[in-house]
Amino acid sequence: MRTLRNSRMNPLASLIVRFLAIFVLVLVVLAAAWPVISPTYTKWIAGAARVGFHAVEAPNVSALEVRDGTLWIHRIVGPGQISPFTWFDRFTFFALVPLVALFAATPGLGWVRRMVRLSISLGLLFVIQAGYIVISVQLAYAAMGLSTVGAFVARTLEGWQVLVRVLWDAAPLALWIAFTAGVWSRRLRALRQDRKSTTRGVHHTGIAGLRTEVRKGWES
Amino acid sequence: MRTTHKRTFRRYLPSVAGGAIALAGLLLLASHDAAMMHIQRVLAVASSGILNLFGQDTVVVGTTVQSNLFGITVVTACTGLFITGLFLVAVMAFPTRWRSKAIGVGIGIGGIFVVNIVRLVSLYFIGIHWPGFLDAAHQLVWQSLLIVVAVALWLLWAGRWAYAHAPQ
Repeated sequence: MRTLRNSRMNPLASLIVRFLAIFVLVLVVLAAAWPVISPTYTKWIAGAARVGFHAVEAPNVSALEVRDGTLWIHRIVGPGQISPFTWFDRFTFFALVPLVALFAATPGLGWVRRMVRLSISLGLLFVIQAGYIVISVQLAYAAMGLSTVGAFVARTLEGWQVLVRVLWDAAPLALWIAFTAGVWSRRLRALRQDRKSTTRGVHHTGIAGLRTEVRKGWES
Repeated sequence: MRTTHKRTFRRYLPSVAGGAIALAGLLLLASHDAAMMHIQRVLAVASSGILNLFGQDTVVVGTTVQSNLFGITVVTACTGLFITGLFLVAVMAFPTRWRSKAIGVGIGIGGIFVVNIVRLVSLYFIGIHWPGFLDAAHQLVWQSLLIVVAVALWLLWAGRWAYAHAPQ
């Protein structure tokens, strides 16, 4: 009975262990490559964020600079004059690494579907990360009285900052869930069916075994 | 047809409402400074207690764990609140019976809390013995490990408790 119970646990345990192992493996490889990836990726983010700043600021008061993988936000304080306002270090955009690792570790996705979904997720994460730079800096300007916002936003400014922070933190996980929830649902449902059929098999074996014993008894 | 819709609506409404309430609770908690300070303090005290078991002579000042050798400050981002919150939203939004959800809440809060303590203790030791690796361990390794631990805990809960009682 003990062996049967253990064998019922095994598929779930092996699924989780396999998932963790692949995740850690991909994470280690990509984390080692991050110092190489980070400066280029930060430049791309800065390019997209610049478009965002130009769209929301009139006149444009923010200037962006990428130095050693760190994204600096400068505030234009006068003609030809800028002063550093804040910075986002080389770890800020690391979330794309766990996102790739999560997709790599997801079981039951074909390579084509995996690549398509990963590409869409990475695209969305890129937009979210560039958007986060723009929105968080705009909220910081408003909090410091450097820009004016509507009465409602001013009253609920702290709440907006928390919301943006939560969305930022949750983004990679939320994207992965959105694109793989169906796969996991099918996988877990299949495990449940397996468990049910195993349980039925146990009863079956039990009854069949009993019958064999009875027959043996008759025969003897 | 309408009856089927009604049944589906009734079956999933409590889960969706539960997920929404968990999300609202997370946002309220995150914007409540006193509550966040309390959580940070609990983590700092627990980490300090464990470090002292390993012979480190640490004290807690505010939300900072410090010794003669090194110090770590527990800030909002270090509480694992966002990951725990997301875990709870995923548990509450899952259509299964309330008893299974209660188990999921316990696993999420307890499991992520324990992993977070391990994280803080390990960062303290890395800070002392391998300071050059501290930034990477803090922002790259543990950030990712917290995510995958939360996912693994959720899978464990979903496979072991939630799907067993989920509607067909």
